[in-house]
Amino acid sequence: MFVLNNAWKTVIRNKGRNILIVLIVAIIAAAATIGLAIRSAADNARETGLANTSVTATISVDRSKLMEQAREASSSDSSGDSSSDTAAPDFDSMRSALEDSSLTLADYQKYEKASSVPVSSYYSESTGVSGTDSFQPVESSSANAANSSDSTGSSDADAGNGQGMQAPDGGQNMGGRGDGPGNMMTSGDFTLTGFSSDAAIANAANGSFTMSSGSVFGYDESDNGKVIISKTLADFNNLSVGDTITVTNPSDTSLTYTLTICGIYENSTSSNTNAMGPMGGTSQDADNAIYTSVSTLQSLGLDADTTANDDNDNTTTQLNYTYALSSADDYETFASDVAAAGLDDTYTVQSADVEQYESSLVPLDNLAKFALTLLIVVLAVGAVVLVVLNLFNIRERKYEVGVLTAIGVKKAKVAAQFVIELLIVTMCGIALGVAGGAVASVPVSNQLLASQVSAQESEASSQQQQFGRAADMGGGPGGAAGSSPSTGASNGSDSSDSDSTSDNGNISSGSTANSRDARSGGPFGMNRAVDYVSEINATVNLAVVGQLILIGLGLTLISALVGIVFVMRYEPLQILADRS
Amino acid sequence: MTTESPTATVIATPANEKPQDSATTAALELEHVSYSYTKGGKRVLIDKNYVFHAGRVIAITGPSGAGKTTLLSLLSGLTTPTKGRVLHNGEDLAKADRYRFRSHDIGVIFQSFNLLPALTVAENIMLSMDASGKAFDRPKKEIAAELIAKVRLQPEYLNERILHLSGGEQQRVAIARALSYDPQIILADEPTGNLDLATQDDIMAIFKDLAHREGKCVIIVTHSPEVAAQSDEVFQLAPLRER
Repeated sequence: MFVLNNAWKTVIRNKGRNILIVLIVAIIAAAATIGLAIRSAADNARETGLANTSVTATISVDRSKLMEQAREASSSDSSGDSSSDTAAPDFDSMRSALEDSSLTLADYQKYEKASSVPVSSYYSESTGVSGTDSFQPVESSSANAANSSDSTGSSDADAGNGQGMQAPDGGQNMGGRGDGPGNMMTSGDFTLTGFSSDAAIANAANGSFTMSSGSVFGYDESDNGKVIISKTLADFNNLSVGDTITVTNPSDTSLTYTLTICGIYENSTSSNTNAMGPMGGTSQDADNAIYTSVSTLQSLGLDADTTANDDNDNTTTQLNYTYALSSADDYETFASDVAAAGLDDTYTVQSADVEQYESSLVPLDNLAKFALTLLIVVLAVGAVVLVVLNLFNIRERKYEVGVLTAIGVKKAKVAAQFVIELLIVTMCGIALGVAGGAVASVPVSNQLLASQVSAQESEASSQQQQFGRAADMGGGPGGAAGSSPSTGASNGSDSSDSDSTSDNGNISSGSTANSRDARSGGPFGMNRAVDYVSEINATVNLAVVGQLILIGLGLTLISALVGIVFVMRYEPLQILADRS
Repeated sequence: MTTESPTATVIATPANEKPQDSATTAALELEHVSYSYTKGGKRVLIDKNYVFHAGRVIAITGPSGAGKTTLLSLLSGLTTPTKGRVLHNGEDLAKADRYRFRSHDIGVIFQSFNLLPALTVAENIMLSMDASGKAFDRPKKEIAAELIAKVRLQPEYLNERILHLSGGEQQRVAIARALSYDPQIILADEPTGNLDLATQDDIMAIFKDLAHREGKCVIIVTHSPEVAAQSDEVFQLAPLRER
């Protein structure tokens, strides 16, 4: 009580000095509040963002790993006969490795069963089919031309999911060119996609659509042969619901398939119609997508398992298997379960949702890092300032210490009094600082986040620009000629050397991204438009206040330590020498 | 440890109180006390023996350098002798709680007063009262006001900062503070140094009163012959011969 009283009286007595300390502490506390608020908001966004939303996951081949293995294998068993091993990659072995790498439907289902968390799944199978005289694909060369110069606008690369990139020969990804069309996948005029369920259609690569007439087919065998086509395609061919269309196998035009139109849909996202640019081929055009059920594909012998086993047939059906999980945590569990179930390490479990979300959090993460740095700097500076202030303060009050100990106040009590004084002052400062920080944290953090987002966006767009130019390296069969060496050369002509080297670097990283993203996102992984988290609610909650009070206590105790040491080392006898 | 009752009596004791028979009891006792500031260094005090009785005014005199201030710091429990013992009521001070001794049992009037300049007179006095941990039967401010009157300061001084007081006034405040918690021993270092003759007599009268009527042990360190003459006993510190 005596100590408290005394401390309080002393605080009141030294108004000027204490107001100064309160202000300093308030500034430190305000900065710390903002830092903590940003961090907690970022953590919160990270935790809650995907906690309760369903997450889809896919299993895809880690091609670079696979190719590495193939390269190792070929160099080990062909070291004798193939002398120019290092100069020219062994394309054949790599191709075969890649071809063997596709998982079958049974594999996917096996992994689904291996999961310990509830998981549902859907899948789609896409193949190319060619038109006949009576049924022609929508073609719009003018649109393509316009698009090639405007890659940023049509950055949604979902359309790229198409089989061109996914061709198991992987020619374009390995820089192979001019191997002839025989090895490239024949994509045909249309993309015939079979879906396993409504969920699969809802997540169709071309984006969502609305039915303009008719209805979506069922998934039973009874609905076999039913398809829905885009309105554009229907208009182009003057078709309506109930009409039948005939398409052919792209590699064998004598093989025809007759399909019944049960519905006509309209893509609600039209921007991606021509995303593939001039090299995509008509089948890449979203308008040329024909949707049907998996069961239909099976009945036509175009499903993935059949085509994979059929070596003679160049038509390859791409299986796109997606697992739906109820949360991001489940996704992690699923990934480890699948690995435990024997998934080779050349495959990776990926989630476009999680990745997209992660990348949307990049500015927020940067901000959180910045906030942490700010916090550390502010706290370090604050601690030093407080220690120094307190040091001077205590030295000034040496005489007071002497008097108090001389009249018999125990040193511990004197030290306690000094600590309490400092606590009173710093707590006032923290209260002020928290209030100020709370008011400022939302606008300040959103301002900071906005600058992070714009930094991120300009980085992304500069990447996109580089990649957009190089984009003709990827894509469908026609684009094989535009592989990286030529791109590098063309780039070198209009930009500086350093630019072209950085370009090349980008291209290589870009193409790895391609191969990894191929299943989920499409070839232009880098082009995916990311909706960055641009608003956080960095409000100050009780946890932040609690943390700040702890920090304040810590800082106070650190700086009070100086005083405590000073007081404890004081010998009462000194008072005889301390004459004011 | 102390003989007094837990609730200390108030300073202004009724005038009819008899002189205590404790006149013969030893309040403080020096027993072969030697002291040197540094270990093995120059000894300031060598083998001092003295018994300070309650109810008496004892003057400690001696030329400068004889160790008066050192003796004061030993008696006030600010430090402990290098050799020998200082006994308070028969108990070795070196082993006792000297903080309690200082706050409770002895009132020291330092030569430099050691008042807190930022505090008012009343606050300084009440600080010591608080520090003693004793319970008082009246508001502390009232006691402080009485003490101020006792040392012949105007009542308006009560709320004056020490900073604004003259040396003599500060000295009286220091005395008032030393008396505030009713200690059994009063130890004063040159208490009359800053005072004119008339005030000196005043102060000495207070000290004598404290010793003779209230049975306190009053020890005055002084080089003033007048003060020594008015004391009951004089403890003469001989100048050090050693070195």
